[in-house]
Amino acid sequence: MRSETILRLSIGFYILLFFGYLFGPLVIMSITAFNSSNFPAVSPWDCLSGEWFGVLVNDDKLMTGLRNSLFIGAGVVIVAVPMGLAGALLLTQLSRRARSVMYMVTISPILVPGVVLGISTLIFWERIDRVLLGTDFFYDGFFLTIIGQATFISAYTMLIFVARLQRFDPLLEEAALDLGASNMQAFRKILLPFLKPAVGSAAVLAFLASFENYNTTVFTIVSESTLTTILASKVRYGINPSISSLAVIIIGLTLFFAVVYELLRRRERSDKEKRLAETAKTNSMTRRHRPMMVPATALVLVAFVAMMGTSWVARGYSTSECKLRVAQEKHKRSEALSQQRISEARAQRAEEQAAKAESPALQANTEGRQYQNIFTPSNLAGQVDSVSSDSNGSSTEAAVDANKAGREYQNIFAPSNLSGQVDSKESSD
Amino acid sequence: MSVWFQNFFKRNGIGLSLFLLIAVFVWVVLMIVLPQLLMLDFSFRFNWHHMNPSKMGGPDDVYTLTHYKFLVYGSPNNPDPFNIVDVTVFFRTILAAIFVTMFDLALCYPIAYYLAQVAKGARARFLVVALIVPFWVNEILRAFAFRILFGEEGSLNSLLLAIGLLDEPVDFIRENVALYAGLGYAYVLLMIFPIYNAVESLDRNQIEAARDLGAGWFRIHRRIVMPFAKPGITSGCTMVFMLTAGALALPQIIGGPSSLWFTQIIYQWFNTGSNWPRGSAYAIVLLISCVVLLLFLMRLFKVRIGEIGR
Repeated sequence: MRSETILRLSIGFYILLFFGYLFGPLVIMSITAFNSSNFPAVSPWDCLSGEWFGVLVNDDKLMTGLRNSLFIGAGVVIVAVPMGLAGALLLTQLSRRARSVMYMVTISPILVPGVVLGISTLIFWERIDRVLLGTDFFYDGFFLTIIGQATFISAYTMLIFVARLQRFDPLLEEAALDLGASNMQAFRKILLPFLKPAVGSAAVLAFLASFENYNTTVFTIVSESTLTTILASKVRYGINPSISSLAVIIIGLTLFFAVVYELLRRRERSDKEKRLAETAKTNSMTRRHRPMMVPATALVLVAFVAMMGTSWVARGYSTSECKLRVAQEKHKRSEALSQQRISEARAQRAEEQAAKAESPALQANTEGRQYQNIFTPSNLAGQVDSVSSDSNGSSTEAAVDANKAGREYQNIFAPSNLSGQVDSKESSD
Repeated sequence: MSVWFQNFFKRNGIGLSLFLLIAVFVWVVLMIVLPQLLMLDFSFRFNWHHMNPSKMGGPDDVYTLTHYKFLVYGSPNNPDPFNIVDVTVFFRTILAAIFVTMFDLALCYPIAYYLAQVAKGARARFLVVALIVPFWVNEILRAFAFRILFGEEGSLNSLLLAIGLLDEPVDFIRENVALYAGLGYAYVLLMIFPIYNAVESLDRNQIEAARDLGAGWFRIHRRIVMPFAKPGITSGCTMVFMLTAGALALPQIIGGPSSLWFTQIIYQWFNTGSNWPRGSAYAIVLLISCVVLLLFLMRLFKVRIGEIGR
């Protein structure tokens, strides 16, 4: 049985690897939300800080986008749930051939790229507006986005209703009709209650799908914005950890709801089991499933440990002090670096001058035509030095050095140059 | 037909019947069919149709192939025989989508099989929840996570540098490693669940029988599980392929600066290019070539369309 143990171990390892791939990026992103560094990174770790959450909340653009996203999500739920329901109900009443045609047509938006859906919706309503009506009534980001998203989200909701309807017993409806119920009553009192859980899950799914959609929205949103479009433009042009903090909030909410959902399910199931056990008049304990007990406990434990850890660390820990310290350290490091570069450049220049001194003709050249060797490496090095080093006293030496070589206007645009010139003036006074 | 309508109204009552018919009509006709047809029509029009509709109906208002020609040959004064940029991007997108699909299939098949046949009860349920949770997080945020992970100063680089596997940081984003990892990640669920559904209905006795007859695990999968799960595998591959080829956010955010995705070109024609008919033509080309490729593959693997999406 050795090979079996190896097999089992490798399967376990594979699953671990797989879930590492799923969760790793999210975990790392969450950690970066608490680093005070301006660039989202785990290392170098600067300071533990919650300031990015504040930055997030004060970001007006993001908050507007969030509001719009919620509004659009609600609109999509209102449009897509009835549409999917109607589609599913109609499907059950069609002949076989008509059913398969309708099924194909209504499912196709799931497979069509979101980009294509967005474009076709945009063009269609824009044409209706400009060519047919001569208005811009429909050419509105909210309307277009709700319609464009509902095109494929209705297909999702329809699939949910179809799955639920397959378990419906049509005899129930017939019995109601036989007992004198009107069609509408039979629908409201029999079918709709049966479909109620499906309505709930369809609404949740529709909202989530709308909330996170990008490909369709980016075309139909026109001049408005949603959370995803704002996020995308933010992420594309320069990133900062406030986006990580948004992710932390979303991940936290997700975990919370997942646990709550599982607990509710478990209670429902154990209730059912209890009832079953009572009707069967058996006192034996039915085996109870507690699938989420372990992860739920783990989650609570992790949260507890994290809180304790944070409060322990925070005891006598001040983010601002830490930031000051880190800034000083960075300053020292860059200073040391610039010093090193300066001395390197000096050594190089000394070597070159020694070489020049050997050939007087060359020297004459350099004196005569000062701008000749604008692009010589030594010259560049001098400029790079003065650019890269901080504009504090020590760095001016490089500029002064360069000036001494007789090329005063060379690095006119170097930030340290001004002070360098002032220096040289003072010294000439 | 009219008999059908009579029966339909009699069965559902007027109110419900009208609701069903109107809702489905709006969805199918106004939201699915007509917009697609209009987009097709638009792709054969000159650009002033969009920019200056008052000229419509004049003598110049004819259909044109100019946008499709542009995709293949480029502008008239293009010295090359083909529109090299766009054609290359197109084929690279398709190839990359195929690659990502294969990667996802290889990655997800073992997991789906494990969930469907091996794992039981509490553990299986826990794993399923653990699978779903990461996908509640916004797609853009997931892309952002990959950017943090794979950037030049990212976590992976600092880890590899610290271990000593690398001497210099590698720009994973420029090399498109981040893009492929992100795309593979994004559609994992769409690959796992169809395969899971298919494998779950497989009678375990078949596997036991094959094992008793001396088949190794590889042979069991090749001869029993995979043929049985073929509809699920095809369904998963179809969805992953279509979504990858049509992805826009991930290539925009974590794609290398020098490598475009075909959807990005479409986006440019709509956004900065201000040439909607040309964008439509490009979108039509993307849609049709994806569908044709899929139909071809389905014929190759002998899977019928009806089996997909179950």
